[in-house]
Amino acid sequence: MSFVGDDSRARAIALVRAARGGDTLAMAGLLDALTPYVGTICASIALEHGRDAAQEAMIAIFRSLKSLRDPDALFGWVRQIATREALRVATREGQAAGPELPELPAPGSPQLATDVGDVLRRLSPEHRAILVLRDLEGYSEDEAAELLKVPAGTVKSRLHRARENFRKAWTS
Amino acid sequence: MTEIEWPTTGLDPVQRLRALAAGVRGALVTERAIRSSPERVWELLSDLEGEFGAIQPDMHRVTILSRSGDSIEALARSRYGMRALLRGTMTPGWCWLQSRFLLIGMAVAEGPDGTSLVAMTGGIRIPGRAALVPIGVRAEAAKSLDRLRVRLDARG
Repeated sequence: MSFVGDDSRARAIALVRAARGGDTLAMAGLLDALTPYVGTICASIALEHGRDAAQEAMIAIFRSLKSLRDPDALFGWVRQIATREALRVATREGQAAGPELPELPAPGSPQLATDVGDVLRRLSPEHRAILVLRDLEGYSEDEAAELLKVPAGTVKSRLHRARENFRKAWTS
Repeated sequence: MTEIEWPTTGLDPVQRLRALAAGVRGALVTERAIRSSPERVWELLSDLEGEFGAIQPDMHRVTILSRSGDSIEALARSRYGMRALLRGTMTPGWCWLQSRFLLIGMAVAEGPDGTSLVAMTGGIRIPGRAALVPIGVRAEAAKSLDRLRVRLDARG
């Protein structure tokens, strides 16, 4: 379902239980445990504003940690907050799809990571969110629609366009 | 399909402090830009047994009991005689310590134009909880940052 390993997930869930009990050292551990996860979602959606988005997401997460009723639902809850904050920051910063890339290095080249960044920059923030949810998190279209609070049909058409753009970038 | 390396980001120590403090009821983060390198600022702040006592208004003495990796355990004594067994972590630019009755958070990150951004939080903890007694927190932190500035100037 997610790119977070089982061990990391179990550790984070144990930390959230202790953190909700008032242990601020567990809260610090939880912050460290969640940072790679939140950082990847936020950087993929908000791009160069990913760090600001990750900070906003973390503040929202810790401010409302008490409202998380089921610690086992931690990552779904965090994913929702991180996606929402990343979209909010990207929109606030006026990010829009950039120009088409004239050429991309072949898959497997040393510039691979840069190429993926370029592909993401060509997409709107919502398309980036859809790609993250589907291709990184393994969401179904209905789940993505629910998380982004848009009708399922809209996600499907957006997803089709996003995947098509992604495919073209990789195969051109 | 080739494995995709998605972009990622971390948080600097000051951003971490803001996030963590958001989870502590009653906690305020006091920040100040100081015209000095983060390394130099941290050298003072992290000197718990020396400079730290001179910077924190209520702190009389801190004795480090043990250090293991990033983990640290210290005994603090206030000017009013109260003692606190502090446990937590200290890494370059970051310190977070708690006892049953006390919470201390400090962070330093690179600021714009060669400055350092220093952030502090903490105070009297409601025993065992992620909450502070909201009395004098802002004034104490402001006083600490004033003293930090003076100590840095004194060092030249």
